[in-house]
Amino acid sequence: MLVRDIMSSPAVSIPPAMTLEDAYRMMQQKGIRHLPVLDEGRLVGVITDRDLRLATSTFVRSPLSLQGRVSEVMCGEPMTAEAGDPVEDVAFRMRERKIGCLPVMDDGQLIGIVTGVDLLDALLRMTGVNKPSGRLEVRLPDHPGELARLTSFLSHRNLNVHSILTYPEGRDSTRTVLRIGSIETRALANDLRRADFEVLWPPEKPCPR
Amino acid sequence: MPSVIYHPAYRNYSFGEQHSFSPLRVDIMLDLLESLGHRVETIEPEPATRQDILGVHSDYYVRRVETLSAGGDVPDCADYGLGTPDNPIFPGMDEAARWLVGGALHGARLIWEKGEKRVLQLGGGLHHALRNIASGFCIYNDLAIAINWLTGHGLWVAYIDIDVHHGDGVQQILYDDKRVMTISFHESGQYLFPGTGEIHELGSGAGRGLKLNVPLEPFTEGESYLEVFDQVVPAALRQFRPGVLVVQAGADAHFADPLADLMLATRDYEAIFRRILGWADEFTAGRVLFTLGGGYSFSAAARVWALLYLLIHDLPLPTDLPEVWRSRWSRIFDGQPPAALHDPNPGHAEIPNREEIAHRNRQVAKRLLEAASHYWF
Ligand SMILES: [Zn+2]
Repeated sequence: MLVRDIMSSPAVSIPPAMTLEDAYRMMQQKGIRHLPVLDEGRLVGVITDRDLRLATSTFVRSPLSLQGRVSEVMCGEPMTAEAGDPVEDVAFRMRERKIGCLPVMDDGQLIGIVTGVDLLDALLRMTGVNKPSGRLEVRLPDHPGELARLTSFLSHRNLNVHSILTYPEGRDSTRTVLRIGSIETRALANDLRRADFEVLWPPEKPCPR
Repeated sequence: MPSVIYHPAYRNYSFGEQHSFSPLRVDIMLDLLESLGHRVETIEPEPATRQDILGVHSDYYVRRVETLSAGGDVPDCADYGLGTPDNPIFPGMDEAARWLVGGALHGARLIWEKGEKRVLQLGGGLHHALRNIASGFCIYNDLAIAINWLTGHGLWVAYIDIDVHHGDGVQQILYDDKRVMTISFHESGQYLFPGTGEIHELGSGAGRGLKLNVPLEPFTEGESYLEVFDQVVPAALRQFRPGVLVVQAGADAHFADPLADLMLATRDYEAIFRRILGWADEFTAGRVLFTLGGGYSFSAAARVWALLYLLIHDLPLPTDLPEVWRSRWSRIFDGQPPAALHDPNPGHAEIPNREEIAHRNRQVAKRLLEAASHYWF
């Protein structure tokens, strides 16, 4: 999944000479919290609703008036993303730098914006949790070939797999979370157990007497 | 006299012999009632029209179902949930699904036009069907279509869904409708298909606070189920004051069901049905429309639905089941055919953390009521 698949495009942008009051009103109107600042088509900064509130707050020593200019408050030389960047790289960068958005550039032109909320949406899409589905969780020994054994088991069944996520668990094992687009996940869990997979989720039902 | 709606054409809603959603389930139930000496008198509906279906589903979805139904090719059918392992394509599927919708609609008409009180539609309950997506064995949403018909005639509807799976299609289609309250009891979406049905899904717009979900812990037993049922349903009905109840009476919360993990026994179903009939008397002048639903253990589903039939007719419940019925279906059941209407007690191995499960369910119901009642007063 790439940035272009999840970004908001086109991005709403403002000029550096705009007043803080107008910038805030713009955010309220559009229901957004981040605005790239463009000077004659060139990206010169990013301003957030938090920047605006803080700049005009009595918490700071010399607060600006609402007629102050965006250029006085914005964060200049912002970090950016490219439309073709993988989503996980962008998430990593935003997390490292503790920032809430990245303007998306293509050939020096602003073409969109990606925010933390877009990344949450990406997580929902990647896990397939936004489609009717059932969840399975399997513990695999951390050996080469184990994930392949699982996927080849699945490929022999006519199944609609929405997603497979794998993450390490301690030193010796990994957990694999599957979302299957089927109401019949219990039968699948039983077959996996019979094939010696350790199915953690769903739990095993006590047998009828 | 209660009305029972059925048509032999319901049997055509069949995804193939190996598929869980089998029309045999109703055959076995009807045969049980007949073997017990009851003459089951049924009313035959008409199939729903294309126009009826379009009240809920979009034209481009219906066109795809029709094409597949007639043996045509629809390259993007999987995008619409059609031709998947859960919802395989079969010839005549459009008409078969319209028959089930027609039955639910007929039930709605009997209540509105003929003043019927208790109506049992012996099929349908296809609560997973979304506007444009077939899902979980459901092609057309008979429930939403019948509910819309009722609200269109001025009867506000409280929809109660006791199928073990979340009634996501009905909820989604009617999410902002202030004339419909939906209450779904199901195994938590964290564990079970379709994954939704959390307590924060409360409806939108004018329907906010009217869509209620009680996600239950796996291995929930009858005692805890009934406790939260009593906690939530009467309070909600008292608030909403519906004109009619529509009940999806899926039997897949039974402990023997192979698709899910709740642990209800037939005695719990008896208690649930008695409560619903009592609440219908109390809140809707007795008006209640039942459909069937999920239920994938043949022997459990047949007994649960026979129970429902007997209770709505105020007939006495038998203890033992006829030998002729048991032997006729013994090859179909996995394991011994049941000797009695009710499950043995206990019917399953002991659940180790029963107290913890009950505690969590109690908390969920409490939080749900807190969140929903915020919109009630
Ligand atoms: Zn179900």
